[in-house]
Amino acid sequence: MTTLDHGPASVPTPEAFDVSAIVKNHRVHGSVYTSPEIFNREMETIFRTGWVYVAHESEIAEEGDYLTRRIGRDPVVVVHGRDGVIRVLENRCSHRANRLCNAESGNATSFRCPYHGWTFSNDGSLTAVPMRDGYGEEFAKVRANLGMSEAPRVDSYGGFIFASLAPEGISLKEHLGGAMGAIDRVLDLSPTGKIDLSRGWMKHLHHANWKMVVENNVDGYHALFTHASVYDAIRPAKVSHVPSKVEVVVRDLGSGHSEIDYSAEYRKLDEEFVWYGRIPRTKLPEYVEALETAHGPEKAHDALVIGPSHTLIWPNLFLAEMNVMYVEPMATDETVAYTAAVIIPGQDKLNERTMRRSEGAMGPAGFLIADDGEIGMRNQAGLAARDPEWLELSRGLETDFEDETGIVNSDKSAETPQRGFYRQWASVVGQETSA
Amino acid sequence: MTMIAAQDQPAIPLNMVAAPGPLPAPDADVAAFLYYEARLADEARYSEWEQLWEEDALYWVPMRPEDDPRKKLSYIYDNRNRIKSRVAQLNTGNRHSQTPPSVMRRMLSSMEVLDTDEAAGTVTVASNFALFEYRYDQRVWAGRVIHQVRRTPEGLRLVSKTVHLISAGGPVNTLAFLI
Repeated sequence: MTTLDHGPASVPTPEAFDVSAIVKNHRVHGSVYTSPEIFNREMETIFRTGWVYVAHESEIAEEGDYLTRRIGRDPVVVVHGRDGVIRVLENRCSHRANRLCNAESGNATSFRCPYHGWTFSNDGSLTAVPMRDGYGEEFAKVRANLGMSEAPRVDSYGGFIFASLAPEGISLKEHLGGAMGAIDRVLDLSPTGKIDLSRGWMKHLHHANWKMVVENNVDGYHALFTHASVYDAIRPAKVSHVPSKVEVVVRDLGSGHSEIDYSAEYRKLDEEFVWYGRIPRTKLPEYVEALETAHGPEKAHDALVIGPSHTLIWPNLFLAEMNVMYVEPMATDETVAYTAAVIIPGQDKLNERTMRRSEGAMGPAGFLIADDGEIGMRNQAGLAARDPEWLELSRGLETDFEDETGIVNSDKSAETPQRGFYRQWASVVGQETSA
Repeated sequence: MTMIAAQDQPAIPLNMVAAPGPLPAPDADVAAFLYYEARLADEARYSEWEQLWEEDALYWVPMRPEDDPRKKLSYIYDNRNRIKSRVAQLNTGNRHSQTPPSVMRRMLSSMEVLDTDEAAGTVTVASNFALFEYRYDQRVWAGRVIHQVRRTPEGLRLVSKTVHLISAGGPVNTLAFLI
């Protein structure tokens, strides 16, 4: 890569990777979004050493249920084994590397490779090798190790399944830390304490770096501009986007997690369902009654007032109020965003409404996300201009304050979440790697 | 593949039929109406397009042909009110993903009448389509589109439009124009 005279720092080579040269406290170098070397490094670090969201338990509720997903660049099968254990297996035959499982989802007790017929139990073990007489002692020595490779650590919280390809590291609970409350906040809206994400994922191709897609989700600054057409044509924003008028905060929860939190504003209004089109509770009597029975009227009221969370869980999961989005990075300038509606078990009237709201806002044709996709693509196009070299994330830097919940800013348009994201990014991507 | 939507939801058109044999072509005025609908969508004539719709409208782009939209998320599932909102947003001129509007031309072909309901005055027509969209670069969208059209004293009106994209399995590009 050429270095221009006015001197963008040349993209660091893997041997001489100095993350402090590309991420500062409130600035990010453009190459962070465009460099294939940095993308590779992200895949090796973020997606191979830490916890990554892979699936939701409701999608593989029965023994034998499986899904195909990706962790970074690795295709994996998330499978509910016949022994009841949920495993994340590399989607590759141990013989000649054929992708074993080619359906998006299904139910099977075993996976049979279509190439030479090697068969694996859904716990990953190799159970059958056709025409085995052709193998001798050398094969006998290794056969026991030829099961499907398994992610060494799989854990879940509130039904959200995460995997880590690293055998060692902090526990999922330590990783989630302050973001566990965001999952709880969604679950509090369910009379059973559970949610369901099995009604399908909208798959939207974004022509932008994956970080642009996820950072945008906790950007409280853009809505008034990017989404002006919604507010002008359809309905005003649920609460004002002018920061001085509302008690909406942004919060860096640590470990790369962050959120836009409307709860203080909603509690001030003390009005239920502001986050759900301000529907009166009388329109959803069965749901409200079930929630009150489960939680008691007081807690149910508070859950219905504050609503679900708007929280990014590092690195790839976004709790988007009554939607859940996760992303799969494909290339420096290509990302697939998957969006599901949050389904409350047993509440079909509510759920149909929720699905219609998801379709309205989210996905490739959504009133909101289609425009976010366009803006992300233009970001990527703009990055082709190499000057200025840096992107600015200093908004609200001087007004951030720390409390027991994290680093908070009372101005919802502050770039506090993005600064938190890049602090984590620098720490993870900047680590020593074996690569 | 056969999929008949649940009978208690008559607004949902037949998705696909295992045709018993060749099916009739639509009447010339029905075909002309469908070409007109396509032209309005191609030319981003949003308000004129909106005027084609009946009150019991359904504009549907499912993720899988066999999906029951009450149980599965779709890419688009617009009733009349949602269509109005979609058009209003496009008409702001500030819907970034359609500013400027995509340059488009689509072809409708292989029109076949799936169903005629004399009492209701409706005819259901399936067509194959190919749509060429230019926006920074050229993209091709293709699939099967099923229209239900109603004869009214004011002329032909659109009751439903279901678009089965061949690429619905995704991931799909931004789909902010009228497909």
